[in-house]
Amino acid sequence: MLPAQQDVLNIVQAKFLAAEVVKTIHLNVSVVDGPLENDNRILTLVEYNKSFALFVLVSSRIQPISFSDLSIESVIPLDQNFSFETEPVSGQNYVILIIRYKQNKYEFKIEIGKESCNFAAEIIHAKEVSLTGASNFTWLEKYFGTMNQANRNSETSISDQSDFVLIREGMAQGQASINRESMLKYQMKLREPEFTQKQEFTIFVGTWNVNGQPPSASLKSWLSVDEKPPDLYAIGFQEIDLSKEAFIFNDTPREAEWQKCVMDGIHPNAKYRLVALARLVGMQLAVMVNNQHYQYVKNVSFDTVGTGLLGKMGNKGGVAVRLELHNTSLCFVNCHLAAHVEEYERRNQDYKDINARVNFRKNPQAIKDHEQIYWLGDLNYRITDLTNTQVKTLLQRNEINTLLRADQLSQQRERGNVLLDYSEGDITFQPTYKFDLHSDIYDTSEKARPPAWTDRILWRGKGIHQISYRSHMDLKISDHKPVSALFKSEISVIDQTKFRKVHEDLLKKMDKHENEFLPQVMIDQTEVVFDLVKFREPQARYIIIANTGVVPAEFEFIKKLDEASYCKDWLGILPFCGSINPGEKCDVKLEVNLETDLESIYDILVLHLKGGKDMFITVTGNCQKSCFTQSLSSLVRIRVPIMQSNPQQYNLARNNQSPILYSVPRELWLLVDHLYRHGLKTRDLFESSALHEELIRIRDWMDFGSQDPLPGTPQAVAETFVLFLSYIKEPIIPFELQDVCVAAASNFQNCRQLLIQKLNDIHRTAFIYICMFLQELLKHSNDNGYDAKTLASLFGDILLRDSIRNAKPQASRGKANFMYNFLVNDLSALLIPK
Amino acid sequence: MASRDYDHLFKLLIIGDSGVGKSSLLLRFSDNTFTGSYITTIGVDFKIKTVNIDDEKVKLQIWDTAGQERFRTITSTYYRGTHGVVIVYDVTNGETFANVKRWLHEIDQNCEVVNRVLVGNKNDTPDRKVVLTEDAQRFADTMKIQLFETSAKDNINVEEMFMTITRLVLKSKKEMKQLQSAQNDVVNLRDKKKSSKKSKCC
Repeated sequence: MLPAQQDVLNIVQAKFLAAEVVKTIHLNVSVVDGPLENDNRILTLVEYNKSFALFVLVSSRIQPISFSDLSIESVIPLDQNFSFETEPVSGQNYVILIIRYKQNKYEFKIEIGKESCNFAAEIIHAKEVSLTGASNFTWLEKYFGTMNQANRNSETSISDQSDFVLIREGMAQGQASINRESMLKYQMKLREPEFTQKQEFTIFVGTWNVNGQPPSASLKSWLSVDEKPPDLYAIGFQEIDLSKEAFIFNDTPREAEWQKCVMDGIHPNAKYRLVALARLVGMQLAVMVNNQHYQYVKNVSFDTVGTGLLGKMGNKGGVAVRLELHNTSLCFVNCHLAAHVEEYERRNQDYKDINARVNFRKNPQAIKDHEQIYWLGDLNYRITDLTNTQVKTLLQRNEINTLLRADQLSQQRERGNVLLDYSEGDITFQPTYKFDLHSDIYDTSEKARPPAWTDRILWRGKGIHQISYRSHMDLKISDHKPVSALFKSEISVIDQTKFRKVHEDLLKKMDKHENEFLPQVMIDQTEVVFDLVKFREPQARYIIIANTGVVPAEFEFIKKLDEASYCKDWLGILPFCGSINPGEKCDVKLEVNLETDLESIYDILVLHLKGGKDMFITVTGNCQKSCFTQSLSSLVRIRVPIMQSNPQQYNLARNNQSPILYSVPRELWLLVDHLYRHGLKTRDLFESSALHEELIRIRDWMDFGSQDPLPGTPQAVAETFVLFLSYIKEPIIPFELQDVCVAAASNFQNCRQLLIQKLNDIHRTAFIYICMFLQELLKHSNDNGYDAKTLASLFGDILLRDSIRNAKPQASRGKANFMYNFLVNDLSALLIPK
Repeated sequence: MASRDYDHLFKLLIIGDSGVGKSSLLLRFSDNTFTGSYITTIGVDFKIKTVNIDDEKVKLQIWDTAGQERFRTITSTYYRGTHGVVIVYDVTNGETFANVKRWLHEIDQNCEVVNRVLVGNKNDTPDRKVVLTEDAQRFADTMKIQLFETSAKDNINVEEMFMTITRLVLKSKKEMKQLQSAQNDVVNLRDKKKSSKKSKCC
């Protein structure tokens, strides 16, 4: 940072609180199309607690000496509504910085250089940082009140912006958060010298006021006097038609006539193509280019400005054509300024109006934005303070230089009133106005106007060398003589090979940048193996997701195609989604809880990073079999505890291929028998919950078998009994029978019929067995506190359990009613086989 | 101003057995780097690469997939929306070449018409080469796929291979567009006929 800039930065910092750090500033910024094009703006990037905002400050002095010299014009938070891009202006050493915030657009001119590069980089960086966290911009509230009145309305309150959406959404679709296109343009402009070289082109510029005369002579003596054909012609006429029709309707046959005459008169040793023809009333400007260059001409446009009657009619004014030849922007302006000796100030004003009002509606829009400008026309400046006789005497003595001192244009330019920064070649020719028609004699009429150099050609821009500047006396059909200038102008030509190389190099850099900004994480393990998984004995494993990238990583476990959830029902993932900041990590708990009959668990989890890659995590483990989760029909076929059964026996039983050994499963009998002996008088037998370890002990006792008595309190055994009935593979009253059972609930005989006709022997026996036990329990109501309704309601939901676990029970009341029948009626008849 | 800096955006997919060098090919193409250490890709990852083809900017999103057998069902879900597929085998491992058929089948199952190239990677150690160029070429010819023998390690043919598949995809897109506009013309003609009939009626 330059010392001066550092000084200003300190002053700017004083404008803010200490915690609001001024990160960088850009001095001498001007507002594009603003009411005042002063470069008194200071763009300021301020950070407060990792949230950034751009402040546009106006300095009341060129170099502020105190923070009180600065006022805040705009405050723009760098949140997701903020975007910026830069647009190079061809041939200029500045770029347009366009900042958008919601519907607002701010345009600034900043000079290309180290300062602007750094500034742009800082903004990009700040935006990235700003968006990485849920930035809080409430600190800006106080500044909105201090903003210049004019801009306040355009700002919207930012207090309602709680929904800070993180960036990168859509990255997978190839969208970057920074505008790659404008970045590319900007960088290409900066590196232009690497892929262009200067080449000299000859440009012929001509101007002639034809005094309303039709073309009746060849223009060769004006347009093709040089040995070699020029590369480009810009030919301007004034007063091609002085008729009222032309003035009012801006339509004249002379346009085509004169243009044909021009095409006939230009250099015969080359072929030319018309690039643009612009006309306003009598002012006409044609640009022709040597055929061989035609393909390198692009972005052609023109505009016309009338400054005549009422300050806008087309009898005076200018017509302008702009184009790009290779990589250089050119602008030609043909003007006809106000007449009469004393009206030089009017002429100055016309010039200013043309400059202000010409708008090509494409970039660059104004005349001054071009690398090379050629200004031609009947500028109408006269010779002052000398009489007609004096002028003529000086001319006879060939004292042109003495005469030029009295030339208004030279005088006005010296005073900086017109065509400032323009150059004009030495005038060695005689004044080109005013001649008697068809002669070389200066005005002999009564008015006897003194001769003057009204017809001029000037230029502005780098690399322009004038070869000749002359008048053409042979053409006598007008009261003016035509003037021409030949230039050798340096045009920057793109070397396609080098251009591609730079372009590709930039693309590569941007790809690299984009790839670097993809979310990146590492996980410590991609294969999670659980120890032996047992029924309802949860087990947890942890994986660590570490953000190794430069942007926050939003992760989420996503479901695979054709699957209902992102993981199987035996697994729980916590958290299953979240966001991790760069350099930070997140522990994710994987918990397996087995409640179904599985030999092993296996799943592949897909961990998805929003806008980035997916990773696969394989989860595996072997399961221990258990009498829980088996079917009644398997259990009645297994003689021994399930873990003691050999695989062959077990498989036969599972497939219902071995003989039925028990009328009810031995596990069910063991539990009921235990409760019958120890639990009938226990109060709230089913309501108290046992210790998890206690349940595990009972489970293992049942699955492995033991010489020891059944462990655990009556309550724990009762809970195991409920669990057993709840997790049995098919409920005692199978799913498909539940609806008819509920429907028949009001009539015991119907319920009984259903049981006999629809329920298979194994399930019916188990059902009656359980009901008889519950009836036994009811005999001890006084001790255990249960009545038939309570037990019916409790066991209705268990014996007729829903297919979807953990959901709100369906038709609980109906199920209870159904159960009730079997708790209060005599069941002995049911025991008789069909 | 156009906010995109490319003329076309294509999704390419790299598939093939585990360990044939899919990730290395992508890394060589996108970053021009190579690392000798082998890290199995467990998942799917992508990189962005913009290339110029005949003055058109083509932005590629290249997806690198896990090659392991157990992930095959999952990875197949990433085939959707793919414009071009790079099928890779290892010239020093005959089995990976034998499996190419299965990968081609996988493409047929999961993609509609899609451009493909066949790539024999690790073509940098002649002593260890077991899949002969002639055999691979014969197979490629019968399957009507272009064959490339590459080395991500020595940077041989990698750029050419990716540029070829990109060109193929670009060509297909243009042909498709032409076909569509031709069809539209047919429809337009019909419309015109219809409308002319109508006007006659009136």
